[in-house]
Amino acid sequence: MQKNIRNFSIIAHIDHGKSTLADRLIQECGAVSAREMTAQMMDTMDIEKERGITIKAQSVRLTYVKDGEPYILNLIDTPGHVDFSYEVSRSLASSDGALLVVDASQGVEAQTIANVYIAIEHNLEIIPVINKIDLPAAEPERVKEEIEHTIGLDCSHAIDVSAKSGIGIRELLDAIVERIPAPVGDSKAPTKALIYDSWFDNYLGALALVRVYDGEIKKGQEIYVMGTKKKHEVLNLMYPHPLVLQKTPVLRTGEVGIVILGLKNVGDVKVGDTITDNRHKTATPIGGFKEVKQFVFAGIYPIETDRFEELRDALDKLKLNDASISYEPETSVALGFGFRVGFLGLLHMEVIKERLEREFDLDLIATAPTVTYKVHKTDGTILDIQNPSQLPPINEMQEIQEPYVKATVITPTDFLGNIITLLNNKRGIQQKMDYLSVNRVLLEYAIPLNEIVMDFYDKLKSMSKGYASFDYEPIGYREGDLVKLDILVAGEVVDALSIIVPRVSAQTKGRDFVKAMKEIVPRQLFEVAIQASIGNKVIARETVKSMGKNVTAKCYGGDITRKRKLLEKQKEGKKRMKSIGKVQLPQEAFLTVLKMD
Amino acid sequence: MLLYIHIPFCETKCHYCAFNSYVDKFDIAEHYFRAMEKQLEFELKRFNVQKNSISSVFIGGGTPSSVDAKLYKNIFRQIEPFLVEDAEITTEANPNSTTKQWIEKMMELGVNRISFGVQSFNNDKLLFLGRTHDAIKAQDVISFAHQVGIKNISLDLLYGLVLDTPSLLEKDLDIAFSLPINHLSAYALTIEKNTPFAKRKKIVNSTLELAQIVVDGVQKRGFYQYEISNFGTYKSRHNLGYWQYKNYIGIGSGAVGFLDNKRFYPSKNPNKYIENPLQIKTEQLTLQDQHIEKIFLGLRSEVGIKKEMLTQEEQQKVALLIDEKKLTCKDKTLFNNNYFLSDEIVLFITN
Ligand SMILES: Nc1nc2c(ncn2[C@@H]2O[C@H](COP(=O)(O)OP(=O)(O)O)[C@@H](O)[C@H]2O)c(=O)[nH]1
Ligand SMILES: C[S@@+](CC[C@H](N)C(=O)[O-])C[C@H]1O[C@@H](n2cnc3c(N)ncnc32)[C@H](O)[C@@H]1O
Ligand code: SF4
Ligand SMILES: [Mg+2]
Repeated sequence: MQKNIRNFSIIAHIDHGKSTLADRLIQECGAVSAREMTAQMMDTMDIEKERGITIKAQSVRLTYVKDGEPYILNLIDTPGHVDFSYEVSRSLASSDGALLVVDASQGVEAQTIANVYIAIEHNLEIIPVINKIDLPAAEPERVKEEIEHTIGLDCSHAIDVSAKSGIGIRELLDAIVERIPAPVGDSKAPTKALIYDSWFDNYLGALALVRVYDGEIKKGQEIYVMGTKKKHEVLNLMYPHPLVLQKTPVLRTGEVGIVILGLKNVGDVKVGDTITDNRHKTATPIGGFKEVKQFVFAGIYPIETDRFEELRDALDKLKLNDASISYEPETSVALGFGFRVGFLGLLHMEVIKERLEREFDLDLIATAPTVTYKVHKTDGTILDIQNPSQLPPINEMQEIQEPYVKATVITPTDFLGNIITLLNNKRGIQQKMDYLSVNRVLLEYAIPLNEIVMDFYDKLKSMSKGYASFDYEPIGYREGDLVKLDILVAGEVVDALSIIVPRVSAQTKGRDFVKAMKEIVPRQLFEVAIQASIGNKVIARETVKSMGKNVTAKCYGGDITRKRKLLEKQKEGKKRMKSIGKVQLPQEAFLTVLKMD
Repeated sequence: MLLYIHIPFCETKCHYCAFNSYVDKFDIAEHYFRAMEKQLEFELKRFNVQKNSISSVFIGGGTPSSVDAKLYKNIFRQIEPFLVEDAEITTEANPNSTTKQWIEKMMELGVNRISFGVQSFNNDKLLFLGRTHDAIKAQDVISFAHQVGIKNISLDLLYGLVLDTPSLLEKDLDIAFSLPINHLSAYALTIEKNTPFAKRKKIVNSTLELAQIVVDGVQKRGFYQYEISNFGTYKSRHNLGYWQYKNYIGIGSGAVGFLDNKRFYPSKNPNKYIENPLQIKTEQLTLQDQHIEKIFLGLRSEVGIKKEMLTQEEQQKVALLIDEKKLTCKDKTLFNNNYFLSDEIVLFITN
């Protein structure tokens, strides 16, 4: 029954306990037996388990009985890292409420604020949940004050919980039922459902996770996808669950479920699209769904040049699982055929590359990440440049503009000095400094996006012992005094290594770059010169000396096969290197820029 | 045609060695030789060996000098008709177990070349390696061999240990060259799986510096280098045969045989071998396998590689290497200018 449905997301800053809280809610509702229960069970991907982070939002359907009345709770656990805020906004678009989890021993952090604003934009009922009250350092009252002060959210009915020990979980479930509104929507109207996630399953094909707003979706129904203008037959319907999907003949108004269309074509189920009935179409599609915007771009190339088509196939499939990537074919003199792939951030890039390699058994090279520059040419045209090697010659450019963001940093005052220095070094301009309490400060800076996509986050974390938090949002383009830095290996420009840098720091960057390359490039049969140049002027040079020896001077007798196998093993190792002329570069060489100070 | 005979017995096991040999199986030695005779008979037929065609016999191990010379008698009788007139007949021998009588008897059977496993003339190093002889013993044994009339004497040296120093290695070479040898093999220590050294740390020093001292030192003292580890006033036919990709018969437990595109592996377990010496595993070599083998064998020795056997792509890489003076081309054959880079060059050409 529609009035007994509650759709909500759990949002929070990273590590404040969203996934653990989801575990407790699942457990309390008996959706998973004690034996099957694992920690952070909604984090199902290998990468998520290994890194202990949530990358993809996950949904689960629970049943909770309150005062003898059964309620259906559709819970979405969301990621906290800045890179994945698009996942959060997608989840919130399909929810009627949100649990805002704040760590009682930490307080409000940068993503707490960012996520709350998304929830407010969607007009959702927000329940503040103060977590980790079992910790000796927990200060729930101070944290509530902080929430009221910084976000202006009423905390008089906040709920104190410990996701770890289970305190307050019942109260929270009751609050969800009482405070989060039941879905509104007309069950008699034509089908209207939002695709808020989609992915590819090797057995079932393309799957769409939907929230039904009006009408219902039935097994066997002929549906129409409004954006792509295609009709499909509903082969099966299921309720989401981290372990076993449960089949259902129908998804009713307000419900959340997975629609199986048996599609091979992965482009057909686009996130944000609206599903309706093919014969009785709804008048207007669901709007207000933000298109994802990629901030960071990098070339992705197969090491074996003949595996380009496999890479395309892999990207097509992954795109269905992660709608937030974009890709377009490109070519590089050095690397051959590949794609310029757009990501939400550097962590996202790392994750996508790792997933492509793991799930599709590819060996890939990623080039240095870059942002989208706007180049105003002397002939009046404007170019979007996402690949430094495509920057026009200097005499054809009037101006290069680069994207800026508003960066929000919240830090204990102990680290304030160092963090301000870091922001200044990264060309940041201070816009606000606000004391949240005596020992916590919020900083707002306008800063070139390029400076923060590289290693800013890691630096910030390490200089603040992990205490500073960070979020950013785009604020448009500004002119930059920028130049292209080329890298020559053995006398040849390697296009895939070019980067765009501020003119003032070009000299230093060039020197650091070749120095870092020298450490990464192994000795070869020949001496290898590594140079940095601007225009045609070489500004730095290092040399990788030639190799002295690689042989086993040994007695093999007749066992030549053994020797051959040893060589083949070495050969296997070299396969992961890229030949550029007579020089072989390891994969990491193309990401040298991330290893510089 | 070459013939290799494997003796899988040793008095003790050296700390670095992974060759197929056992310290506790001397009691089956006689049965073992009977089994080898059986296999030999079979292989002579399989390889279709003709009269006057075996140019080299090599008895290796393990430790050939750890068993009575008379055990070899039947084998020599079997191969007699197939040997070429001036066949090179080598046996390996360990200094600790080799006696004058043993040498004499082996000579009577036809042995005309002995390769002594000396490793070093430094007693500390010998102890570290787990050898049971000392420097004096090694020198004495080599003198015996010379007195008895063995014309071609070789010795093995082992280098590349952490305790090696330039002066230690120079001294080893000085002593080696004071002896009546006309051939020397110098091997760089390799850590092999399942050996005592594999469990320890800080054993190897594989720097170019040490290797260069040995290789330069041997040549300076008058021997010619015809393979990465082999030097002499002449070239051992047996060794050269391997690098020339010649066929060879391999007799015994842990031996390997090679015929055209197949390799043969009798059981490595001597007891199993005795049970059935004809239970031999065959490895089929692909064209690709043979291609790369010819390349790496040719590049680690003065044999070189015939340019025409290389693919178009490989020849392009070779052209680069000739430009860079890594290879020399003479009479359509490519020669390696620096054996120390052999593996790297193979990888470069075939990648
Ligand atoms: N002491 C304590 N630790 C908790 C609690 N909830 C979560 N944690 C721990 O906090 C860390 C981050 O939790 P996780 O659920 O992955 O956070 P997420 O990033 O917000 O999903 C994990 O080590 C959890 O075990 C709690 O109530 N009390
Ligand atoms: C087949 S072995 C047997 C020779 C004989 N048993 C002896 O040790 O005197 C021949 C030579 O291989 C070399 N050798 C054995 N194991 C080695 C290793 N792990 N690394 C390098 N050379 C090795 C030694 O120099 C040895 O003399
Ligand atoms: S090196 Fe020679 S003596 Fe030592 S164990 Fe190996 S085969 Fe036996
Ligand atoms: Mg999580």
